[in-house]
Amino acid sequence: MSKASFFDPATIALHSGYQPESDHGSRAVPIYQTSSYAFQDVAHGAALFNVERGGHIYSRMTNPTVQVLEQRMAALEGGVGCVCTASGMSSLMTTFATLCSAGDHIVSAAQIYGSTATLLKSTLKRFGIETTFVDINDSAAISRAVKKNTKLVFCESIGNPGLDIADIPSLAAICRKKHVPLVVDATFATPALHNPIAHGAHIVVHSLTKWIGGGGNALGGAIIDGGNFDWGLKPEKFPTLNEPYAPFHGISFFEEFGPAALSMRIRAESMRDFGAALSPQNAFLLLQGLESLALRMPKHVENAGEVAQWLLAHDAVAWVNHPSLPSHANHDLVASLFPKGAGSILSFGVKGGRDAGAAFMDALQLATNLANVGDSRTLVLHPASTTHSRLDAKAMKAGGISEDLIRVSVGIESFRDIKNDLANGLRAAQRTQKNADQKDGRKTQQKTEQTRKQTATAKPVKKKAATKKATARKTAGKTAAGK
Amino acid sequence: MRIKVKGRDTYVATGGKPFDAKLPTLVFIHGSGLDHRTWALQTRWFAFRGWSVIAPDLPGHSLSKGKPLTSIEAMADWIWQLLDELKVKQASLIGHSQGALVALEAASRQPARARSLSAIATGAAIPVNPQLLETAQNNRPAAVEAMLTWGFGNAYQFGKSHVPGQAPIAVGSRIMASNPLETDLQACQNYTNGEAAAALVTCPSQLILATQDKMTPLRSGLALAEKITASEITKIDAGHMLPIEAPDQCLAELRQFITRLP
Ligand SMILES: Cc1ncc(COP(=O)(O)O)c(C=O)c1O
Repeated sequence: MSKASFFDPATIALHSGYQPESDHGSRAVPIYQTSSYAFQDVAHGAALFNVERGGHIYSRMTNPTVQVLEQRMAALEGGVGCVCTASGMSSLMTTFATLCSAGDHIVSAAQIYGSTATLLKSTLKRFGIETTFVDINDSAAISRAVKKNTKLVFCESIGNPGLDIADIPSLAAICRKKHVPLVVDATFATPALHNPIAHGAHIVVHSLTKWIGGGGNALGGAIIDGGNFDWGLKPEKFPTLNEPYAPFHGISFFEEFGPAALSMRIRAESMRDFGAALSPQNAFLLLQGLESLALRMPKHVENAGEVAQWLLAHDAVAWVNHPSLPSHANHDLVASLFPKGAGSILSFGVKGGRDAGAAFMDALQLATNLANVGDSRTLVLHPASTTHSRLDAKAMKAGGISEDLIRVSVGIESFRDIKNDLANGLRAAQRTQKNADQKDGRKTQQKTEQTRKQTATAKPVKKKAATKKATARKTAGKTAAGK
Repeated sequence: MRIKVKGRDTYVATGGKPFDAKLPTLVFIHGSGLDHRTWALQTRWFAFRGWSVIAPDLPGHSLSKGKPLTSIEAMADWIWQLLDELKVKQASLIGHSQGALVALEAASRQPARARSLSAIATGAAIPVNPQLLETAQNNRPAAVEAMLTWGFGNAYQFGKSHVPGQAPIAVGSRIMASNPLETDLQACQNYTNGEAAAALVTCPSQLILATQDKMTPLRSGLALAEKITASEITKIDAGHMLPIEAPDQCLAELRQFITRLP
């Protein structure tokens, strides 16, 4: 990782890329709410278009407010440059489309965000780009999946929603050997907890919409170019960065920009042609979030750890999944790769399945039932009663989700208040269970419970989690007592 | 373009236009551990307005093969060899930092072939802090970091970038990390001929100096100016990495000087 500044991350997040501008001395980063920029004269305009001079032309490519966010993100992740886009999804699409053309291949972790999986599986396929999905926990299989036409390996540093932890140093070693870049979606970690480039990754993508913004009020994405991949070593493998690019006077991005070839190509091509520009207004809101990220993330992590422990000890809870728990399949990686914590998303199973889950959700007052993560406020989702409500238990199981699964994005409210709210929900869940017990009698209930347990252990990760759970619960019981 | 100099593969950036020996030629020479990308925002302007531009990677740097040269004198000879390959008789020499020492030495070795000299952020000598030299030999990444912390001025330490979205210090560190920084610094340290070379320069010359320069302090640049007859001096309020930190001002100074050449 290269140091882009001698300041520490908390300072970079507040100061990097902007000093009070000369005209008015505005201390806050101004919102440059403009679509375009006046040329000083004809020669200046011509020089800008011919890349003889740096500067802004049109906000689809660059904007001074967005630029500050980009330079802060580049500095925080230790990259050579950053391009921000309108959403996390557009950042992913832009990255894939810059490196791959029809006939190319991607190796992706199987355990990734649903929309990213759809992008790779269906959308990019329509454009002739094929993806092989491989279990993130099987490095050998990932290595085997890399083919001659593979242009990148993709994973999430903390997988959404299963919370698998990517062993980035091992994946990076495979990628170096095969000479393909490792692209990491680091949304769930943020630069405050983990820097993939420092562990050997080559490109980092963020949905800024989540923890970085923190306010749940603006969408945005960022692509950070690590500048640590030698695009020129096998030029024929990366034609978009080596071959002469006709729309830009036949330049080779690698020859011209070297370590920053990728980010320059993204700016020159994707931002111009796809046009997924981040608005200055949203960049400003996301900057407000970024400025306090170093304070918020430790609180998110602390609360998530406490909520996980408390849930483990609760009678209405069947299982809990969070990387901080010894029962988590990748718990050993957490200590080495995520010493500051592995994020604030956790999932748990509520006893009583779909109905109990629904009752839990409707009894909550503080935690909000919606389909987002990374807000400063606690968010919850019960897929079986909302996003996946039309699927039966079998279909859900095939998608790796059980009927009792509740996902919590733990916010930075006081732990006591979060806990009290969840306790209310769990009481409501228990009431549905009691009613069901009275209706069906004890025997049937036990049977249901057994089915439920099988569902919960459907995924390999969960299996391990479930077997280790008993011990984890015992230790957890002590700490959680009295809370 | 890629050419052979003394049989070695050499990369020469041409500012986006094919090289044409018939046009007046400008040679841009990079500093310690760096490469042709130093000059991205100066070379294109000239290349698209009637000059032939060549910005080589010195041997063993970035895209050029071969062993790195170990003295400023050898680098100066290499520049003329490069121009011989391209059949260029006379050229304007433009150098940054170590590259300016090379340009100065080259201009003194073949005065008739030097059309002009532009020395950016330099002095007659660039004595290297012995600790930095030692660090470069034992731990290149640490030396790179130290160089860039001293090399870039205040605004850049605050993450400023002339190219939106870039982290110029990180770009520099990636380039330097794979180039023979220690050999370059030793060559700077060993070079003592600057004042004598300055006295032999006969072409028009200019010095573009940086007020926040911690690598080659302003006073050493001013002292060099006194040794070269008929030199013009400009000061720009930025750090040592002038072509990257203040590309527009740097270009403007080069333009006003080069366009006035007889
Ligand atoms: C890991 C991950 N990556 C990318 C995205 C997409 O981000 P956005 O919603 O900003 O497009 C999400 C959104 O939930 C996500 O969780």
